[in-house]
Amino acid sequence: MKDTLRWAYALNQWNIRMDVFVRHEDQRRALKTCSALGFHHVELAAGTGRWDNLGRPEVIELNHGGPAGFLDFLHGCSVHGVSSMYWDPGQPAEEEGWAFRSTRNRDDHAAIVESAKPFADFLAAIGTEQLVVRPAGSAWLQPPLGADDVKTIGEVWNAVGKVAAAAGVGVALHYDCLSAVHSADEVGQLLAATDPALVGFALDTAELTIGGIDPVAFYAGHADRVTHVHLKDTRYADTGEEYRMPGAETTMLRGGAGRRIERWFFELGTEGGLVDVKAFVATLREHDYPGWVVVESDHGGNPAELAMLNSWYLQHELGVAKS
Amino acid sequence: MTRAADERRIKWSYMDHWRSNGPAGPIDQWHSHRSMSSFLKQIKAVGFDAMDTFDFRLWQMYGDYGGPAKYQEMVQDHGLERIVNIFHAADYDVRNYAPHLPETHENILEDFRVTMGHWSSIELDNIIVMPATLYYDMEPITEDKLKITAELWNKVGEITAGYGVRLTCHHEFFCGIQSEPDIETFYSYTDPEYVSLFVDTAQHCIASVDPVALYRRHAHRVSGFHFKDTRNIATGDDHRHRPDSEIMAPTTGKWFYEMGTPNGLVDFTAMMTAVRDNEYQGWITVEHDKANRYGGDYAESTAVARWHAVNVLEKIYR
Amino acid sequence: MAWTKWSYMDHWVTETPQGPQPPSFNRDHMDRYVKQLSALGFRGFDTFFFYLPILAGLYGSVKAFEEYLQDNGFDKITGIFSAYPYATEYTAPHVSETHDRIVADCQATIRAVEGLSVENFIVMPSTTYFQVEPVTDEKIKIMADLWNRVGRLTLEHGMRTTCHFEFWGAIRTREQLDLFFSYTDPQYVYFFCDTAQHTIAGVDPIQMFRDYRDRCTGFHFKDTHTVDTHEAYRTPPDPELMAPQVTRWFHEMGTDGGLVDFPALIREIVTSGYDGWLTVEHDKAELDGGSYAEATCVAKWYIDNVLAEAQALADQGAAR
Repeated sequence: MKDTLRWAYALNQWNIRMDVFVRHEDQRRALKTCSALGFHHVELAAGTGRWDNLGRPEVIELNHGGPAGFLDFLHGCSVHGVSSMYWDPGQPAEEEGWAFRSTRNRDDHAAIVESAKPFADFLAAIGTEQLVVRPAGSAWLQPPLGADDVKTIGEVWNAVGKVAAAAGVGVALHYDCLSAVHSADEVGQLLAATDPALVGFALDTAELTIGGIDPVAFYAGHADRVTHVHLKDTRYADTGEEYRMPGAETTMLRGGAGRRIERWFFELGTEGGLVDVKAFVATLREHDYPGWVVVESDHGGNPAELAMLNSWYLQHELGVAKS
Repeated sequence: MTRAADERRIKWSYMDHWRSNGPAGPIDQWHSHRSMSSFLKQIKAVGFDAMDTFDFRLWQMYGDYGGPAKYQEMVQDHGLERIVNIFHAADYDVRNYAPHLPETHENILEDFRVTMGHWSSIELDNIIVMPATLYYDMEPITEDKLKITAELWNKVGEITAGYGVRLTCHHEFFCGIQSEPDIETFYSYTDPEYVSLFVDTAQHCIASVDPVALYRRHAHRVSGFHFKDTRNIATGDDHRHRPDSEIMAPTTGKWFYEMGTPNGLVDFTAMMTAVRDNEYQGWITVEHDKANRYGGDYAESTAVARWHAVNVLEKIYR
Repeated sequence: MAWTKWSYMDHWVTETPQGPQPPSFNRDHMDRYVKQLSALGFRGFDTFFFYLPILAGLYGSVKAFEEYLQDNGFDKITGIFSAYPYATEYTAPHVSETHDRIVADCQATIRAVEGLSVENFIVMPSTTYFQVEPVTDEKIKIMADLWNRVGRLTLEHGMRTTCHFEFWGAIRTREQLDLFFSYTDPQYVYFFCDTAQHTIAGVDPIQMFRDYRDRCTGFHFKDTHTVDTHEAYRTPPDPELMAPQVTRWFHEMGTDGGLVDFPALIREIVTSGYDGWLTVEHDKAELDGGSYAEATCVAKWYIDNVLAEAQALADQGAAR
């Protein structure tokens, strides 16, 4: 995309089950799809195991021989690089003995910082700017935040931020609608508990909207802290603390219970979309937002179709020329 | 996409084969206005300039959109220039519609008089035909039959020319005129003013005809292309299976792939070089019919084909 | 009498508004899946250890899920599949220092099905070949030691530990299989015969069953079209999905080009007097545009027609 904003596309929408999106030719097709649509940078997502072979540095190395080989793989598809990588330290990984870790638990902090290091080093080696992280686990899995909890969570991210900064990589805390750090107030507390020099905020337009936070107003109020953006739409908001339902990943986000909404995330320009994408992007421009804007469809249906519709929206509704 | 459109010598059109998943199962884009809009957005987003479609969509254009001109307005509302070519997919039948049988010619000519009237509300470059019946309905292929067939298309070409549209022939590997000698004989009997050649890279390749050499020989009368790939050459009697070799041939379940597919048999670099050498100006159409077979996906195939056009072919000629 | 003890190994993928997903996508999809299998006449249900907490979440408990199965004509959960396909510093069956951890994991799985009557605790005895090679006698012995230990443990809870060999695992040739079984205790470690995996590895599954009949506690009835002749089994990091020569290894019973002789196998099973569960599996049936639902129906058709006939003939032979 030829624009003052830097656009990227998230590959997570292709990797929707544990045994898909494994063969290199499938990955090449996705990369070429992004490239043909004007997205020359992609966001990776951390994973685990031999089938998640874009998900961890050591597995990428097994596939491509190392950072240079991986960049060759991308360049062969006319993708110039990786904008960012998403990582959730609370998601157990086989390579780490399936350890359950919580940013709320100070006893886990050293291990979380340690497990962040290979990601930071790998991202630095491939010229990636942002490690996008899930700051806290799902609310339904833990008691309500206590007085000290946000501070504790902030401490580990400052420590991770320090390690990443040493490698030349930024850390951005990604808001999601199930997170224990849920309200605008709690997010504000978390930002206050972290060092702006080390830790930024990854603003996801759909997740904030579902969580009842207006992304436009939130950005305007925290522009100095927002270092990363996920741009996507939703047709629904959480209207009754649905995020606290047991098993909210399934019961809420897959419609297993409650209102039975089986798909929450949609492409830009979807009918009935709740995100004011044009206003949001205009606000980014007003503030000369310097980071990446990663268009993301999450798990919504056919990945290539959604990428095409997102690109169309950028070109025809946002007036961004395809490079 | 940085140069103005009129600076390019090649523009890209998309032949409208498409399937996507609706809530009630697979649909094509003609399913609803919403699915059509989504299709047009996708084609435009990935960088196509225009589209081609089929003759048999005419009734949906009338019923759902108010006619070809109105439908084209919708196409243009999505940023595409227009409809460039129409594929006239006739139901060949030796009883009443068979180019090698002179007694059916008047019926065919009348069909084109009516057809061209239907399309007169929009500007078309080509009306594309398969110039012969299915192979098994025409064999044995004799010079006499080729001559009779050529005479028909000369007359049809005259009708279409009256509407400013070129009549152009697209040789499916399973039609009566698919081998190199038969194609050459056929064109020797047709009038270059009225009958053009439309090169489908995969179809010729499947029929063991080198599409690049064929194009170089006939470049002066080539009026368009389907750029698509294949991984298989027809063998045995693949080309004469009832009712439709494209689906029923015993050796191959999926004949067509998008440009850039691994193990593709079409040399697109050589093809584009030939297009450049002949200073062709106009439209190249991308097609990959039945892309959804064996778990394939039209949207992805279309994006991958477009990637190949931008990153490989436009480096040669644009 | 037709064989009634058919179970289904849970690899299913179904369409959802979020794309193709396992039926555990939500409770509604899971219920529909159980009904679909029930309609075909399956009476046993095999699943993976990692689905147990998900099933507990959807139904309240694994026991409650089994009751749902029973409400829909199933007998019970018949097998639990546990595996370490990918070696890490924490878990690698050929590394004895990791055994305590693996045993602890197995104990957690045992706890998850406590009180049920699961029969088979199915394990992959090794990780990927490329992570173990060179495969030595000593490493095979270390793996055997682990499964002897696990086998003793599961038996205390009514389940037999039974080994399912992948074509890409470190124990894959007939010699390696024989050596492994010679190091394991027949009282604690059993044999689970996956027809396709052995065939791909160049091992005759029927001969394996014949030779290990007394230790065989189950089968995966699935087919393949390809014998691995290119050392695809060594492909890092994963031969099953990434082998350069082969994009799809597994097919349901009854496809053209299938290499496994299922009628011969069912004759052998009947003649042997085996009376356990037979399991249908076709992992990755969705490749090349396939559908799990259709593959399962076609496989069950094959059971009800082709295998039923072969079984009837074998029954007559046995009666004589």
